[in-house]
Amino acid sequence: MNDIELIAQLSVISDAQAGHLVSDAARADLAERIMAVPVAAPRGRQAAERGRWPAVGRSWRRRRWAVTAGAAGLAAAGLVAAVLAGTVGSGGPRPNGPAVVGAQALAFVRHGRYIDVIVRNPLADPKKYRAEFRAHHLNVSLELIPVSPSLVGTVVYFGGSGTSAIRVITARGRCFTGGGGPICPVGLRVPVDFRGDAQLVFGRAARPGEKYESTASSTAPGEALHGLHIQGRHVSAVLVMIARRHVTVAVYHVTTAKGGELLRPGKVPGRWWVYGADPWAPGQVMLWVGATRTPPALGAGNPRTPVASPTPPASAG
Amino acid sequence: MRHQRSGEPADRRRRFEAIYATNCVPILGYALRRTANGDDAADVVAETFLTAWRRLDDVPPGGEARLWLYGVARNVLANHRRGERRRSELADRLRLDLAAAGRDRGYPDPAAADGTDLAAVAAAFRCLPEADRELLALVGWEGLDHGQIAAVLGCSRNAVRIRLHRARSRFAAAMADQPGPRRPGQRRSALAQLTNGDTP
Repeated sequence: MNDIELIAQLSVISDAQAGHLVSDAARADLAERIMAVPVAAPRGRQAAERGRWPAVGRSWRRRRWAVTAGAAGLAAAGLVAAVLAGTVGSGGPRPNGPAVVGAQALAFVRHGRYIDVIVRNPLADPKKYRAEFRAHHLNVSLELIPVSPSLVGTVVYFGGSGTSAIRVITARGRCFTGGGGPICPVGLRVPVDFRGDAQLVFGRAARPGEKYESTASSTAPGEALHGLHIQGRHVSAVLVMIARRHVTVAVYHVTTAKGGELLRPGKVPGRWWVYGADPWAPGQVMLWVGATRTPPALGAGNPRTPVASPTPPASAG
Repeated sequence: MRHQRSGEPADRRRRFEAIYATNCVPILGYALRRTANGDDAADVVAETFLTAWRRLDDVPPGGEARLWLYGVARNVLANHRRGERRRSELADRLRLDLAAAGRDRGYPDPAAADGTDLAAVAAAFRCLPEADRELLALVGWEGLDHGQIAAVLGCSRNAVRIRLHRARSRFAAAMADQPGPRRPGQRRSALAQLTNGDTP
């Protein structure tokens, strides 16, 4: 029994059991009461209420673009890009090199009814950011996490309430996000009267040995294996290819019909096949491998039943 | 971009009813699995669907609606944990049903489970940061895949994969820290082996 199956057993109730707990009448009653709540609020009010689901104005698709693959970033045009590259960028001085010591961690530039917020010190304590936002009467929490090189300076997470009022300023051709396309966010524009509670996470360069918390494709421009074609090759061949880039394998993810498991280096036969690679830490990747040339389909040849309802066979990381 | 205009009251009702009919039970299940009692779960369900009603144009179509609702419910729960709980009169009837069912059946508390297996698993699970617990629960309880979790959490699929990997590593470490002999039938996962430095 793997870890996910163990956790599945902690589920105190399945959806099917939950359905039996409440009568049709109770369900219908709740629906009717909800639909009796008026929704015709003034436009401005509605916008303010949209709250917890970010970027609602531009809705789901737009939000996913902004937050996911592209999620890209605050690699801010001009000033921010320069600041990030100069302090933590992969080509610049050491990540823990001289930051903007003692200076403000954020730069606030007011443009009429908006404030453009620019990160000047990516290694500052999140409490310092918070304090500076608060000094501008903005309830915003900001955190910078280690990310793989092409995501440095990008937005990793954008959540909280009222974030629909915050706009991500975009620019073309200033970042490579391995899936986000040529347009990427380069800054944040916050209304001066912003009263929501936003949580933002941006990517910064990792220190040596520090694991990435968010990654792009390992073959995306700017990443360690950019330009290498490793998929469908033997492990032994790929190890030679990546060694030329001074990249090593931190861990192997062995894909099986049951999901997968992790193996340490030295435990994987060189004749196995490579399915892909994820950035792991500076100079290290996690290699996705298996015994067959193509990854086995999840659950193939394994007609076991789920161990605990309502859990269908889960894909393992 | 809006998914669908729901300007007419009748249209709004029809669309909401369709979303509600499909997703009421899964959201109730989601809430019950994460709350201590039926009262709290009823409030989470009511507030989640009230949000959907107010922001109907923002609810994505098809199966993505459920992921959107999970995301809202997750935020509602987070607000509850921060003490922003309100007893919603919308949920009065639902609360009554759940209270009655609760008296009859009770909700098993994993921590109080008879099986020592489950108690140890629950203890390890409780040790984890909330974000890890939610990630693992979305896989183990809701049965979501990486892409679906990415939609719920508002992050990239790749980020989910990495975060899940780390959550599983922390869970394996927490399991290894649990006292007592290893139970029959429990096999340490590869992750646990890796975490403990064993040879797989």
